[in-house]
Order: sequence, then C-alpha cells, then structure tokens
Amino acid sequence: MELLAWLEQTDFSVWLRESDWGHPIMLCFHAVGMAIVVGIFFMYSARILGYARDFPPSAFDRLFSLAWFGFAVNAVSGVVLYFGEPRRLLATPAFWIKMILIVFAGLSLWALAKALHADTHDSVGLPGPDGALAGAAVVSRDARIAVICSVIFWLGAITVGRLIGYNIPPPPL
Amino acid sequence: MTEGEVLHWIKELPLGAAVRESRWLFAMGETLHLIGLCFMVGGLLIVDLRLLGFIRRVPMRAAVAFLPFVIFGFLINLATGIEFFTTDPFMYWPNPAFRLKMLLILLAGLNAVMFTVMEHRRVLVPAGGKNMGAYVKLTAGLSLSLWLAVILLGRLLPAFEGSTRFF
Repeated sequence: MELLAWLEQTDFSVWLRESDWGHPIMLCFHAVGMAIVVGIFFMYSARILGYARDFPPSAFDRLFSLAWFGFAVNAVSGVVLYFGEPRRLLATPAFWIKMILIVFAGLSLWALAKALHADTHDSVGLPGPDGALAGAAVVSRDARIAVICSVIFWLGAITVGRLIGYNIPPPPL
Repeated sequence: MTEGEVLHWIKELPLGAAVRESRWLFAMGETLHLIGLCFMVGGLLIVDLRLLGFIRRVPMRAAVAFLPFVIFGFLINLATGIEFFTTDPFMYWPNPAFRLKMLLILLAGLNAVMFTVMEHRRVLVPAGGKNMGAYVKLTAGLSLSLWLAVILLGRLLPAFEGSTRFF
C-alpha cells in the first residue's frame, strides 16, 4: 500500500491525473488498441462461425499479428492509466471484473486454438491445409462454443471497462 | 428558425430528456458506441488491408463480404451518436472536435461512395485480384486514416467541451 501511495505522488502520476491531456491521450491509445484487437477478433469469430466461407482462415495470421499489436498497445496504455490512480482502481469493482473477463477471454481463445487444431489436423497430428475450415465445412461444436464465449467475455470487458469511470470511488485521503 | 431555436427543439425531444434523467441509458449508449466502433474497424481493417495488398491470399469477394459489418457498426454508432447529441446539443454543436469529427465522417462516406461508383464504371479490381492500382490503395488508405482520426476526435470531445476553437 505504501508503494502505491508513493506511486501516486510521483510527478508522472500527478501529471496523468491532473493535466488536461495526460488522461485523454492515454485513453485515445486505449480506444484505438481496443478497436484493432476486438475488431479483428470479432471478424475472426464471424469467420469461425461460418461467415464468408471463401475467406481462408490462414489469412488471419497476418491480421493476428496486428491484433497482438493492438493488444500490446492496450496493455501498455492500461498500465500507464493504472499508474494514474493506483489505489482508487484497486478499490473499483469494475476494474477487477474487467481484468478477470480479459483472463477468461484469453482462456477461451486458448480453448478455441485447441479445438481448431483438432479440426485441422488428422489423428496422427499432421497439419492439413486449412483443412476442415476451408470451403463449406463446419467447425466443431467445441470451437463454436469457445469462440462465442470469447466474444461474450470481450463484450463484457468493454462494458465493464466503460463502467470503471462511473464506479471509481473518491480519492483516498 | 435560428440556430439556437433548432438546438433547443432538439434538446426538448423526449429521447434527450429520458437519457439526461438516466445515467444508465447514457452509459449503455457509450458501451454500444464502443462495440459499434469495434465492428466498423474490424470490417474496415479486412477490406482496406486487402485493397492495400496486405492479405493477397484472400479473394477480393471474400474480403468485401465483411462490408456489412462496417455498415452494421456504423448504424449502431449513428443511433447512439444521435442519442448523445440530443442530451446536450448546445455542448456538441459548437464543439470544434465534434464539428471536425462530423466533417471527417462525411469525407469518409464520400470516399466510399466515390470508390463504389468508380468500381462499377470500370473494373478497378483485376480478375486475378493481386496488384491493386493507385486509386484503390489511396481509397483504402484514406478510409483507415479518416476513421482513425474520427476515433481520436470522438475520444477528445469532452476535452473541448465549452470551447468553440481547438487553440
């Protein structure tokens, strides 16, 4: 706690909280990163669920690199935003719920990757081409459940993230 | 009617009054605005990056199939944007960030319409779908840049509340 109190009175933390531009600029980065990572993920989810079957799922590899960039921008801007209000955010339920939802979104993505790996590889574990995902084939029920869960978790993270601003308690004395 | 009278009439509409009463309605509007934004940007990234040549293995038709998401996201944001505007037209209308944001949205729309018209007049997209001409790339680049600026201006709107100028 003393570490957080110390953090709060550093010049950077004070600047972030009290300047006209610090907080808005960090939120700009956070909004753009979100648009990139969630936007690409929503389109990928649509493809997994069968939308635009002519779109080769392997083409998402490059888009995933961009999505990771978006995620990194948000991780960094998120940490910086945290430095502005270290104690108040820890006391904000919406903050914790958002972090938990992001972890769950990550776990569902991991489950999705596993389910898709099973879809596109034969029983010996050798990779096919886009395999079961190419053309008109349908992905497994596991993959569909994983992707829908992931979408719900991301939507939740966005909703609860917005509520942080509304739920944050008054500054500690 | 004067400008002030129009704004006043908008402010007195039931929608604005209802949202002003309820912080929850405004917060839900903001959340939907963010979600709409994600759909728009996701769809735009696929279409524009394909037009720019970054994901050439995707058939052009398959990339363009994601345009409905862009429209879907835009409509959500148009609706929630109207919701926000009706709560406080006197703040939004003179706000320089709001005005520039609306102008850029119009320009982005114009960019899209022009590309669609040109695309129907002659085949801009070669059958192989591999190398795109300069106009195609310009359109895609403008699209991404304009919408990026729109997002930033939207985020900065509150910073110019009460101002009529940027500087």
